[in-house]
Amino acid sequence: MTDAAVLADRSARPTKPKTGWRTLGIVLVLAAITVWAAIAIGVDFGALVRNAQNASNTLIQLVQPDYSFFPQTLPALMQTVQMAVIGTAVSIVIALPVSFWASRATNPNSVFLGIVRLIMNVVRSVPDLLYASLFVTVVGTGALSGVMALVLFNLGIMVKLISEALDGLDRGGQEAALAAGATWTKANRAAMLPEVAPSYISQAIYVLELNIRASTVIGLVGAGGLGMLIDKVRTFYQYHYLSMIILEILVLVVLLELLSSYARKRLAR
Amino acid sequence: MTAVTTRASLRRGQAQGTAAAQGPSPSPGTGRPRKPLGILRKAIWVLITLIVLAAFWSVDISWDALATFPQKLVHYLGLMFLPPAWAKFPDALGATMLSVAMAWFGTVLGIVISFPLSLLAARGLMPAVVRWPLRGVFAILRAVPEVVIAVLMLSVTGLTAFTGALAIALGSIGTLGKWGYESFESVDRGAIEAATAAGASKVQIMRWGVWPNAKPDVLAFWLYRFEISVRASAILGLIGAGGIGKMLIDNIQFRVWDVVGMLMIVVVVVTMLIDQISGTVRARIITGRWELPVVSALRRRSARRARALASPTVREDEGSLR
Repeated sequence: MTDAAVLADRSARPTKPKTGWRTLGIVLVLAAITVWAAIAIGVDFGALVRNAQNASNTLIQLVQPDYSFFPQTLPALMQTVQMAVIGTAVSIVIALPVSFWASRATNPNSVFLGIVRLIMNVVRSVPDLLYASLFVTVVGTGALSGVMALVLFNLGIMVKLISEALDGLDRGGQEAALAAGATWTKANRAAMLPEVAPSYISQAIYVLELNIRASTVIGLVGAGGLGMLIDKVRTFYQYHYLSMIILEILVLVVLLELLSSYARKRLAR
Repeated sequence: MTAVTTRASLRRGQAQGTAAAQGPSPSPGTGRPRKPLGILRKAIWVLITLIVLAAFWSVDISWDALATFPQKLVHYLGLMFLPPAWAKFPDALGATMLSVAMAWFGTVLGIVISFPLSLLAARGLMPAVVRWPLRGVFAILRAVPEVVIAVLMLSVTGLTAFTGALAIALGSIGTLGKWGYESFESVDRGAIEAATAAGASKVQIMRWGVWPNAKPDVLAFWLYRFEISVRASAILGLIGAGGIGKMLIDNIQFRVWDVVGMLMIVVVVVTMLIDQISGTVRARIITGRWELPVVSALRRRSARRARALASPTVREDEGSLR
């Protein structure tokens, strides 16, 4: 032990910083939080064992999707895709000017910039299902409230990603345009827009992918699409129907993911 | 240099075909390459436009509901926020704590389960027979929304906060597992080679060659996943799993709008606060030093001012210095 210490001392190796106590402290704090959380939510793994019979019944139904249910799901499936496409189309149109307002690189007015950023932060921190349930009560059940929820949900994400892309751009062209007497709007349009276009398109595809996921669940609160169907079959515990719907969601999401990653790879080149 | 890259990217933007600058058509002799025709590209744009138009045409939406929407929006916003019902604030705080507890426990459970699995799914420890099925499981768990997982678990444990936490745990296994094996595989090969050369076993390579390198990324991912879980726990409440979401949906259904307004403020503030804290800690883990949101900005500003006072000429190239 001492030999090793002497050796370590003699070598040119820097001494290891002593972080043992700090690590221990952090781990203890995290463990304490976990215990508190477990008590707060009433963790009860016994319930899992007690209801094992139930669970196995559910699982058996789940692995046997009822394919004959497929025709009945088609309208809801269509509606899900329609909501996702419309939501994406509307939100990317709105997101473009807003992201130019929300980037320090393209908006010289710092007060306006701050206000836009604050609003977008607020918009982004409201979950999609909450938007959906609010719109369902305001405009009624159906695809319209779903589309509106998706648009707000997308807007938060799009504006953040695109304005960050704008922040990271090379501003030489914009500077040149400003020096040549262009207004900020003109300079942004001529020099910044073409530069940000590839990442704009790539984010639009990403948002479409997110929308397919989101639009399958917002129906749970009545905003149209597959979610409404899920809500219907879950109240009757028809798990073989439910697993058919989940299978459809899986196929849809994976297809979109493949398409999106292919398209974005093409764009990156 | 700058001008050249800008022009190149301008041209790239033009080729993308999105409302690019309508520069003068390239005259022969300037040495500028001709713009590619891009029939395929145009076809894709036409196809996308058609899909969007078809979606608008075929969807079962009565758009005239939009006409009265602004009035309704103002009306409901007034009901919600003029003024919000702060009397219920203590209840909201309790519900928020429950939601956060749900998110925390779910994430911890997800980490505990996904960490060993992601090690097994990483290249280098296990044969492909083990790796690919695991990756498949991660992919499926990622593709199924947490809400659907929760709906499935209802029959097993009933509609409780514990169900919500389990759903979050299952959902986070998918993402955490994927991020885990990806960061284990993207570490610098040097340490692995050194460990291999020194005769380490596969487990030792993981412990000394891979883990120290991947640790910051993995820890940051865990925190980031917690941020996602906080949002997810609010959503799970909306379908009945307790916490702030449950309180929200109850008040929305009974149209107690002033409480809804107050709850929305709480959700927004708590989400932003947790994102901010978690983001700060993540930055500390990745960069190794604290960057406090307001403090650092003020410090940077005063440092800049001091520098400007010391020598006014420095200010010009300050940007390039940093």
